[in-house]
Amino acid sequence: MTARQATDRRALRGWPAVRVVARREILQRARDRATAISTLVTLVLIAALVVLPKALGLGGDPKATVVAPAGPAAALARAAHDAQEPFGVRIVVRSVASEAAAQRAARDGDADVAIVRGGRALVVSRDAKDGAVAAVQAASRRARERAEPPPPLPQAVVGEEDASGLAFVVLLVLYGQLLAYGIVVASGVVEEKQSRIVELVLSAIRPRDLLAGKVLGIGVVGLGQLLVVGAVGIALSAAAGRLDVGGPGVVAALGIALGWFVLGYAMFACAYAIGGALVARQEELQTATTPITITIVGAFILSMSALSDPGSGLARVLSFVPPCTPLVLPVRQIAGDAPAAEVAAGVAVVLLAIAVLIAIAGRVYGNAVLRTGARVRLRAALRRA
Amino acid sequence: MLELDGLTRRFDDVVALDGLSLTVRPGRLTGFVGANGAGKTTAMRIALGVLEPDAGEVRWDGRPATAADRAAFGYMPEERGLYPRMRVAEQVEHFARLHGLEGEGAARATAAVLQVVGLADQAKTRTDTLSLGNQQRVQLAVALVHDPQLLVLDEPFSGLDPIGADVMAGVLRARADAGVPVAFSSHQLDVVERLCDEVAIVRDGRVVASGTVGELRRRGGRRVRVDVDAADDRWLAGVAGIVAMDRDADGVVVALDDGADDQRLLQAALAAGPVRRFAPEEPRLADVFREAMAA
Repeated sequence: MTARQATDRRALRGWPAVRVVARREILQRARDRATAISTLVTLVLIAALVVLPKALGLGGDPKATVVAPAGPAAALARAAHDAQEPFGVRIVVRSVASEAAAQRAARDGDADVAIVRGGRALVVSRDAKDGAVAAVQAASRRARERAEPPPPLPQAVVGEEDASGLAFVVLLVLYGQLLAYGIVVASGVVEEKQSRIVELVLSAIRPRDLLAGKVLGIGVVGLGQLLVVGAVGIALSAAAGRLDVGGPGVVAALGIALGWFVLGYAMFACAYAIGGALVARQEELQTATTPITITIVGAFILSMSALSDPGSGLARVLSFVPPCTPLVLPVRQIAGDAPAAEVAAGVAVVLLAIAVLIAIAGRVYGNAVLRTGARVRLRAALRRA
Repeated sequence: MLELDGLTRRFDDVVALDGLSLTVRPGRLTGFVGANGAGKTTAMRIALGVLEPDAGEVRWDGRPATAADRAAFGYMPEERGLYPRMRVAEQVEHFARLHGLEGEGAARATAAVLQVVGLADQAKTRTDTLSLGNQQRVQLAVALVHDPQLLVLDEPFSGLDPIGADVMAGVLRARADAGVPVAFSSHQLDVVERLCDEVAIVRDGRVVASGTVGELRRRGGRRVRVDVDAADDRWLAGVAGIVAMDRDADGVVVALDDGADDQRLLQAALAAGPVRRFAPEEPRLADVFREAMAA
């Protein structure tokens, strides 16, 4: 080894240091068996949810309701029922008193398809089963085949899309991912503290760069896992015919979930890092992080209310309470009840919370992370500069 | 050259450092000795910038040490720590990167330093499967990989087998001979005595004695070993100028103050019985240390 000149010596500060730390975290965790196992378990759960009911013959073909006033329309409905087999739906025909009643049923989502104008037009509910529509169209074509090559009946889509199922999946996955990766950060901090390596690292770089690199690296792994789970989940659902992948709602939902994971993770990871820095051993970690975990669980429970009624006053208020924001706002966005201004305000609130938490975490981390003996009190860790 | 100047640091009610000053010169191996809790580790942590002093200053080449200076320091903390699940070479390379080396340079430095500490064959072994002695070698490699312009090691010899200790001593000597200031703490005074050019004795957060090993030994004063066939040591009571005595299997070692007459000591011994041995004795560092601790 030869002595290099002092001129090419520089302390790693900021991004270069963060990058080196993040690189190690990503390499280690991507190779870690625990990461692979948790990804697999999540995928298996999703697969079970999506594929199993069909594979086991549970439920069979989905039910679809076709409504029609008496007359030619009702005849067409019965023909569609008789021809349902290849379309993968079980059509239930309901006759209604009037054309207006038929339209109303489709609009309210009580029926998938309403046959109107004496069997010459369809009113299709937005979340209608495609099979039901196809069956009615096919029956109509067959009925008129003798006359001329029939054009498909004109159809209008009405009613509101039912996105609460999608929102629920996103909420569940976001909640699990935020909780899991926050705890990974906390235990990663303790691991370095317990193995004493933190002293060696801090002789080279600043505490806040170590913290930032750790949070970033683990976050990248978490985001990657979310992407894989999301993509495979969508593919499985599409294969099982449970989801219309072409629909803009699905891709948008994945985007919304990824975005809120980034924001929510940054917020909770800082909080968990503080918890980790305060204790000396993994065994004490749970006690120190319980308040944070309770906060996330509480936010999750509160967010469930947004699921049933995205437009409620409670949901709107929770959108601006930082621990709830990353769970409530995505639900409202996917369910289609979040004005852009409220989303922007929610993002701003979370960014502000992140900034505050980073400042606190940097200070606590720098002060507490070298105290390897007893548990450090938060107040003491904040005081000492 | 590293200068610690008047370092003071307290932890709540405990004064860890109380105006500690010390200089580590280029090309010199400086030993840092003191009882447990004397403040050695705190002083080293402050030198490395891991801790802030309440008062005092760390200077590098005559000016206050900056983060850039410290990035070029090499450190082996007393609380050894490595990432248990990383492979040896990855681990060392990670620290090379943390010290600003990049890509190819980090890999080259890693390969070179693993050769130096004798772990080239273990480059791909997971760190937690290595023996403790070999983990310590990894720790040394981590301290050396960025070719530091100063080396600070906290108890580098503790836990090493004789061969590991020889490797450690050889590496430290080589770094010092290459012009790097090297400081290390140790409880093994014989190691310090054999290896170090200079020694600083720390007590209660202060350096109470420092200098070359020779200087410190001379400070120990005159000592005479007397082996006399007497029933007990009561004959010593009548001799003026004895400041300390220490009995072992080969007789008694008597420390004399500057005014004492060793011939009077000999006469008293002869009067007590036949004298088998009467010879001046060089104080060992351990004696100097013990006196510094007792003073």
